[in-house]
Amino acid sequence: MSKTTKWLLAVAGVLIIIFSLQFNLQADDEKEEKHPEVDFTQSCMECHKEVTPDIVRDWEKSKHGVMNFGCYMCHGDGQVEFYRKPSTETCLSCHTGEPVDARKGGNLQCFSCHNGHSLKFHQ
Amino acid sequence: MGLTRREFIKTSAAAAAAASLGTSLIPGAASQLFADSTKWHKSVCRFCGTGCGVMVGERDGKVVAVKGDNLNTINKGHLCVKGFYLHKIVYSDTRLKHPMIKKDGKFQRVSWDEALNFVAERFNSIRKQYGPDALAFYGSGQAETEETYMANKLYKGCIGTNNMEGNPRLCMASAVGGYLTSLGLDEPVGTYDDIEQAEFFMLIGSNTAECHPILFERIIRRKHQNPNVKILIIDPRKTPTDQITDLHLFPKPGYDLAILHAMARIIIKEGYADEQFIKENVVFKDNKKDLTFEEYKQFLEKYTPEYAANDSGVPAEDIVAAARMFGRAKTAMSMWTMGINQRTRGVWANNLITNLHLLTGKIGKPGCDSFSLTGQPNACGGVREGGGLCHLLPAHRSVKNPKHREEVAKVWDVPVSNIQPKPGKHTIAMFEALNKGEIKGIFILCTNPAQSLPNAAKYRKGLEEQFVVVSESFFPTATTKYADVVLPAAFWTEKEGVYGCTERRSQYMPKIVEPLGEARWDAFILRDLAIRMGFKKEFEKYKTAEDIWNEYISLTKGKDMDLSGATYRRLKKVRGLRWPVPSEDHPGTYKRYVQGDPLFDELPREKKKGRWIYFYGKPEGKAVVWARPDKGPEEPTDEDYPFALTTGRVLEHWHTATMTGAVPELNRAVPKAYVEIHPEDAKRLKISNKDQVVIETRRGSLKIEARVIDRPEPGTLFVPWHWEEWMINNLTIDAFDPGSKEPEYKVCAARIKKA
Ligand code: SF4
Repeated sequence: MSKTTKWLLAVAGVLIIIFSLQFNLQADDEKEEKHPEVDFTQSCMECHKEVTPDIVRDWEKSKHGVMNFGCYMCHGDGQVEFYRKPSTETCLSCHTGEPVDARKGGNLQCFSCHNGHSLKFHQ
Repeated sequence: MGLTRREFIKTSAAAAAAASLGTSLIPGAASQLFADSTKWHKSVCRFCGTGCGVMVGERDGKVVAVKGDNLNTINKGHLCVKGFYLHKIVYSDTRLKHPMIKKDGKFQRVSWDEALNFVAERFNSIRKQYGPDALAFYGSGQAETEETYMANKLYKGCIGTNNMEGNPRLCMASAVGGYLTSLGLDEPVGTYDDIEQAEFFMLIGSNTAECHPILFERIIRRKHQNPNVKILIIDPRKTPTDQITDLHLFPKPGYDLAILHAMARIIIKEGYADEQFIKENVVFKDNKKDLTFEEYKQFLEKYTPEYAANDSGVPAEDIVAAARMFGRAKTAMSMWTMGINQRTRGVWANNLITNLHLLTGKIGKPGCDSFSLTGQPNACGGVREGGGLCHLLPAHRSVKNPKHREEVAKVWDVPVSNIQPKPGKHTIAMFEALNKGEIKGIFILCTNPAQSLPNAAKYRKGLEEQFVVVSESFFPTATTKYADVVLPAAFWTEKEGVYGCTERRSQYMPKIVEPLGEARWDAFILRDLAIRMGFKKEFEKYKTAEDIWNEYISLTKGKDMDLSGATYRRLKKVRGLRWPVPSEDHPGTYKRYVQGDPLFDELPREKKKGRWIYFYGKPEGKAVVWARPDKGPEEPTDEDYPFALTTGRVLEHWHTATMTGAVPELNRAVPKAYVEIHPEDAKRLKISNKDQVVIETRRGSLKIEARVIDRPEPGTLFVPWHWEEWMINNLTIDAFDPGSKEPEYKVCAARIKKA
């Protein structure tokens, strides 16, 4: 193999890894984006109190719970939009300062350190 | 946020890929909306009277995002759930984009020219045939000050009628009456800054957590940082605000006046009164005459804790404990809203809260205030200060006062004889007059009375029969159904102007994007209508929002609410200014009536006589402690209607939900109305959770879902009022406070049964 061919193959290999990684992520996300069919005349909380009581309890005790920032704020309404894993972007609408310098920690998103429901700091 | 699902997936995939390659990623760096191409503009939340600062993200001429303004000291970057979704409302499908005239019962799109000419002709012919008082205006605490100012000039100064009202009559009028009678001038002494210095909070008739969430957050933080801070709630219903309470008194709806008197009695008897403060700064009165302190004490003798307990249903020992909490705290802040104001004795209830502050001297000092919370973003700024009610003129002036009429007529450049000396019709009287045909044409701006009036069904007759013009950003609403003409109004971010919030703070909002469709700014709709009605000379000079604002602030010069220093130039830079702000180099005022308030500082020494506080709106600078009788609600419960029905709000929706109803997330959070009923009552009536029930009052009935929950006390029902489909205002009572003319939404007699 010529030097050029080797180099091309190496680049192609890296690209394949990156694309497949992206593809997998995308496929996973597509899967994750579906919320089971629900009765949209009831609120998220009415059902989730029964199906995920621990999560609701964690949330209730958190600052978000005290302020009643409901499920929909991070996860979407479940009908028009649904995010199983919410993005950090949503946080930035209120947490407009940068209390933590994320650069110091490396590849961080808010939920890398904060539990999404209790909001407690974890490693 | 407003990402599509596809965009979201792309963003998360990119983030993950970047992470896998070891690139550092600051939160938001991969974000679509927080990207560099988004331009951020400083503005103010469109919803409640808290007045939070927001940053509006704009890209390619569209509003794409909202975030809290971390430089605004009100909210320091935080938002509640409503403010969070503001950007979604701008592009709601329900935006009204073209003027329409109803022809043969159907709305048809017309040009602006046709619409405005039609309205001008109809208004002029009504005026000619029946006189100016056959016309009316009904405005809003959500309109900008500039908008209300234009309507005021058109109606009071040019058409010549004082039939000019606004929805703050339905929410804040009793607070105005309370401040005027107790302290001499409208609006609070202190500001939000007192929250961080208060040791004790009395939240009465306020569900702060849901109705003023960001203030609630500030109170939580205060308590969290200082565990000695105590919180007393007086409210007939348990609400999310209870998460931080130390003591909650649950009076029967409408029966809290005796409690406040009983607290005053205990405060004096147990030595918590500040005798020196009282001697220097307070006088006593009952409804007929002046009293001495001794006579006031005599008056209070009736109000033993037991008497108040019997009247209100609150245990006597809790009333004693509440009084001691107030008395013992070094600093005390009371906050209230609709539970106090929307009552047939709303002004008295306001007075009795301020009494406690005057008796203990807990007013005018850091951390102390008798502080009314406002419901709408510009009820204080536009309507109370701007003079948008039937008895007012701009800058805390009154139509009855000949000097005031002259001052305003001069600035408006109209003959003073145009301004009638007699107040016009207050809101309920105005809609009665429409029913009777005494008012034949009405312009309704930025509000939805067909849903928000009490006993609403009664007032639909007038709306159906008379000529109704509605200027609105949304369509349809309960009110546009009755309109003959609908005019599309530019919405928040599509117009510039000023909002004045609860704490006397005026804040500027820029125009960021072009109005949707053919929508126009309300101030210019009114200007152009005025010109077509024949008032060219009076209105053609207003070319910009700043022209209107400058004229308005010239009227505030030298008044208690001096805004002369709050020019657009300055407001564009700062996060609002709290009046009095008499010059461009004045920083604004934290506390009124004390050192630092320019009006106090200017008072001659002989007047102040060494006093540190001087209520300059009252004779001798002395505030009034009122001996008002205790009076229950207009419609007490009885055998036929054994429940007290009270109405209110949820965190996620606002007023008639024309805005919050356009946000899928907020609809999802609270998709429908319900009636809260206590488990004991539900058991007795065999009502289970989620059963359909029928509530009836003497005015109407409503089928609705039951929520069996221990939030209301037994004997009380609660229904949130946001939905047209479950219009609880068909059941509420339209009896009103004889002083403030504010209706008693908060209590009427009802019965309930399984559907
Ligand atoms: S508290 Fe009021 S002003 Fe602040 S974000 Fe919420 S609705 Fe807007």
